[in-house]
Amino acid sequence: MNRKVAVIGVGNSKFGKRDDVTIKELAWESVKEALEDSDLTQKDIDITVIGSTAYRGTEIYPAPPVSEYCGLVGKSPIRVEAACATGSSAAFTAINLIASGLADIVMAIGVDKMTEVDTSTSLAIGGRGGNYYWEFHMYGTTFPTYYALYATRHMALFGTTEEDMALASVKAHKYASLNEKAHFRNKITVEDVLKSRVISWPIKLLDSSPISDGSATVIFASEEKVRELKIDTPIWVKGVGYSSDTSYIAARGEWVGLEAARDAAAKAYKMAKISPLDIEYATVHDCFSIAEIMAYEDLGFVEKGKGAELLREGQTEKDGKVAVNLFGGLKAKGHPLGATGLSMIYEVTKQLREEAGPVQHSFKRYVALTHNVGGTGHYAYVMIFNR
Amino acid sequence: MDGIPLLFKYTVPDKLYEKFWEGLKKGEIYTTKCKKCGTLYYPPRKDCEKCMSSDMEWVKLSNEGILMTYSIVKQKPQGFENYSDYIVGIARNSDGVNLMCWVKGEAKVGKKVRLTTDGQRVICEVIE
Repeated sequence: MNRKVAVIGVGNSKFGKRDDVTIKELAWESVKEALEDSDLTQKDIDITVIGSTAYRGTEIYPAPPVSEYCGLVGKSPIRVEAACATGSSAAFTAINLIASGLADIVMAIGVDKMTEVDTSTSLAIGGRGGNYYWEFHMYGTTFPTYYALYATRHMALFGTTEEDMALASVKAHKYASLNEKAHFRNKITVEDVLKSRVISWPIKLLDSSPISDGSATVIFASEEKVRELKIDTPIWVKGVGYSSDTSYIAARGEWVGLEAARDAAAKAYKMAKISPLDIEYATVHDCFSIAEIMAYEDLGFVEKGKGAELLREGQTEKDGKVAVNLFGGLKAKGHPLGATGLSMIYEVTKQLREEAGPVQHSFKRYVALTHNVGGTGHYAYVMIFNR
Repeated sequence: MDGIPLLFKYTVPDKLYEKFWEGLKKGEIYTTKCKKCGTLYYPPRKDCEKCMSSDMEWVKLSNEGILMTYSIVKQKPQGFENYSDYIVGIARNSDGVNLMCWVKGEAKVGKKVRLTTDGQRVICEVIE
């Protein structure tokens, strides 16, 4: 990057079924919090990038109404989309605007109101999260089906079990119970997961992240602005990796990990000049329980096929070798697509600043990572941060 | 309160890959191969992204394959509500082509399958 970029303000709305607000008030919750967190006002913001998938809400062009409601008229010339990685695509765009010198302070807002349509319609929209013409039209694939294809193969090749996958969900709910902004606050057991309704075998209801409403906002600034504003604890962007993969899932040739995530991780590690074992805290894209296990492997925390072992050994718990998703993950914190990637940066920022309360992880080197996947590895962003 | 419904009605090109759709009606699976550089594509394509040619020929795919993975769809999306549970799979045929399919029979990773169609999609029948 030509110029260093830091996170200087973060906000996160309450996630969940938010039928008490429209997308505008929902966005404001995190925008207000991020402005207060950074001690800035709207006039300090050069450009706002709005990440929203929007397909499941009534406002299918949400950027103008959100921008107006949040007092950012004139500053929001762009809305970005990368399916479930939309939030990271907004961060990616914001970081680039600063690194290139085009702007000094950029706000990335991620927001989605996903519960305005019924579940059947939502599944039909998600099923198009691959290739409509050659997949959904003929085979009625749902979004869980795509990840289920990976789960079945992972189970067949490496002996990963439904119980192993359930452990990821149990961990997510345990930590979400401590997060007042999480979609779900209840604890669950392995048995609860195994007995829950089958959605697309081997994926069951409690292996799956919910359909959530929510927003998250991150304010980025250049190094000069960090100095000028005398920011106490800037969180620096040390590495940014991105990649993508085929839309037609069968064309990939193997279904035990996401090549886009592996490629994005390699780029991020190279830029940050660190290895996977330097990461002390990670937010991973656990849209389904198998996704968390594959993420451990794709990020290089363990070799391919050993992801479940890391989970079984408790190495990804608070104060473990690499703590993962201590705010509850997509599974239990919730997964409002546009917000998710920015909510990951919110979480990593809170952790690195040691503001994470009951789920504060103990750091030695203060290095953390976000792993945000769009579609079934159709997009991937891996970002590395330090204090 | 209820929002105003938004009903999307689509028309999808069918002439472009007519040979494929016609093949399905006869129990056969066709795809395209680039006449210039020989690249075999599946799903079929109008254009070769490797050598930039658009001179493609239709070829029939082998119907012998292996089941690579599968999932049993219990909660169906809009448009498929009236189907009973179906199994979405990926089969690799003896040409080395990976095809999405619906699986008939007892699905298991690594099983031999015979590729056919039900007139509307590729079916892979598990060989006992």
